[in-house]
Amino acid sequence: MNYVIEAQGLTKRYNSTIAVDNIDLQIPAGRIVGLIGPNGAGKTSALKAILGLANYEGDLNVLGKSPSKDRAALMEEVCFIADVAVLPRWIRVWQLIELTEHIHPKFSREKCLRYLGSTKVTLDHKVKQLSKGMVAQLHLAIVMSIDVKLLVLDEPTLGLDILFRKQFYTNLLNDYFDEERTILITTHQVEEIEHILSDLIFIKDGRIALNSSMDEVQQEYIELMVPPDHAAQAREFKPINERELFGRHIFLFKNANREEIKALGDIRTPGVADLFVAIMNGGES
Amino acid sequence: MNRLMALIKREFWENKGAFRTTPLVIGGIFLAAMLMFLITFNYFDNEFQSLRELLRFIAQTDTDMRSKVLYAANLEISVFFSTVLAFVVFFYLLGSLYDDRKDRSILFWKSLPASDTLTIVSKLLSAMVVAPLIFWVIYVITHSVIMLLFSVVIMVLGENPWTLFLSLGNPFEAWSLVLVSYFAQSIWALPLYGWLMLVSAFAPRIPLLFAILPPVILGVLELWIDFLHTFTLSDNLFGLFGHWFANSPLIMSADKHNDEFGASLGIPITSDFDHQVTVANMFDRLFSSDMLIGLAIAAIFLGATLWLRRRATES
Repeated sequence: MNYVIEAQGLTKRYNSTIAVDNIDLQIPAGRIVGLIGPNGAGKTSALKAILGLANYEGDLNVLGKSPSKDRAALMEEVCFIADVAVLPRWIRVWQLIELTEHIHPKFSREKCLRYLGSTKVTLDHKVKQLSKGMVAQLHLAIVMSIDVKLLVLDEPTLGLDILFRKQFYTNLLNDYFDEERTILITTHQVEEIEHILSDLIFIKDGRIALNSSMDEVQQEYIELMVPPDHAAQAREFKPINERELFGRHIFLFKNANREEIKALGDIRTPGVADLFVAIMNGGES
Repeated sequence: MNRLMALIKREFWENKGAFRTTPLVIGGIFLAAMLMFLITFNYFDNEFQSLRELLRFIAQTDTDMRSKVLYAANLEISVFFSTVLAFVVFFYLLGSLYDDRKDRSILFWKSLPASDTLTIVSKLLSAMVVAPLIFWVIYVITHSVIMLLFSVVIMVLGENPWTLFLSLGNPFEAWSLVLVSYFAQSIWALPLYGWLMLVSAFAPRIPLLFAILPPVILGVLELWIDFLHTFTLSDNLFGLFGHWFANSPLIMSADKHNDEFGASLGIPITSDFDHQVTVANMFDRLFSSDMLIGLAIAAIFLGATLWLRRRATES
């Protein structure tokens, strides 16, 4: 099987601190992968290695290329949005489009103009005249007009209001994604992307804490809500996490017997955010 | 090629103010000064009652001398442009690999499939070719407009501009000499350009400080050690820089050549090279052993620049 990203023993050190610690990773094509971890867990370091923006140790292969040696060639196949504020402030929209057109062989001006047509961004605007949300729309319009195999989004919606954020992911899903493409997203706003993800990777202290498809997650993890008097009983099933909400106890189980647990209270599929908190708090490594 | 052209265009767009507006303003100032001179000439207390009288006097002078003065003047007009160009290029290079690190747009540039080498080449070419070319074009236009203006005034005052000055000096010769000297200077200045780009890629903040302080400290230390050692001052970094500057193939000053007063290359205080403005003298500098050493230094600086640029997104 051909993987879009294939890493073995990927390690990134900054002097004495280890940001990414011996990660093995395989991401196939046609997935939307959420890379989720607390601040300083090594997400950005991992992404930088994948994009050829930083050196690393270990084997790393992105679309058959070595990012550290071949960044320019790799960027013909990969797009990334590192942060919304990253477009140069002095540039005009038409200049940005012309530049991308000449430098990127797979850029389509028509597509870009069509995407921009549905926004308030005009060709004569300078980036510094645009609001944060408009800059994000512009950047996304450019990136979506480039026909690449891998799109990496590092906190793409940071600082945007909820309307822009929803629109951003809707556009991405409806107009861009298909089974040929792979999207890798990191964000802290987990709830907003959980319904579009196909795969989930949690990263903690530079290591992978969870790496499975959303289907697997839904099968493996169960959340149980019980009144206090059932709590002791529930604990016997060895939950990986327990919390209290409005006087009710909420337990998270991994690979537990669904039927037995069901008898104790209400069960449901846990949200990614709850799962994340549970795993990050040491429920599993 | 397409990519390189696009990157060079990007440099022009970003630096339009420095590359285009600045020489236009110089040209404007020049023209305004000329106009003021023409308009207010009669009010000056000088030996001529009026501009008409001055022109009549000039018309009677020796044509040979007039053509020499004209030739020198044609070249000297460029000095104003060259000086400002030097400053523009200096500060452009100093910011060339610093500004996008500061505003973090470097991440966008790095997301384009253009290699770091190509990026550095595009910036170096903008400094070596694009900026000088634009300044030169505007110098030529300014000069032409001034000649036109003078011709009209001369005609209005009843003299013939053709016999008075137009036929005596071929401006094309001056223009091409200036153009060649600009490109010669771009090569001559490569060690400096390399240093500025290196600082620009390296400086965590205030690149100007990082560009100037190390050589100054090194130079002062050298002077001091030299002095303690031998109680004489031999060649050191400052002397080297002075020589480099004085030997420049750029038209910077005026001097006597073969008993005739004229424009000169660099500053005629050194005798390493002939300072008379000829293409051969410019090439003498470019094919000298000094230049060879300079190119080696520039290569080291630029290599280090590339190394740093590749790692600019590390932290």
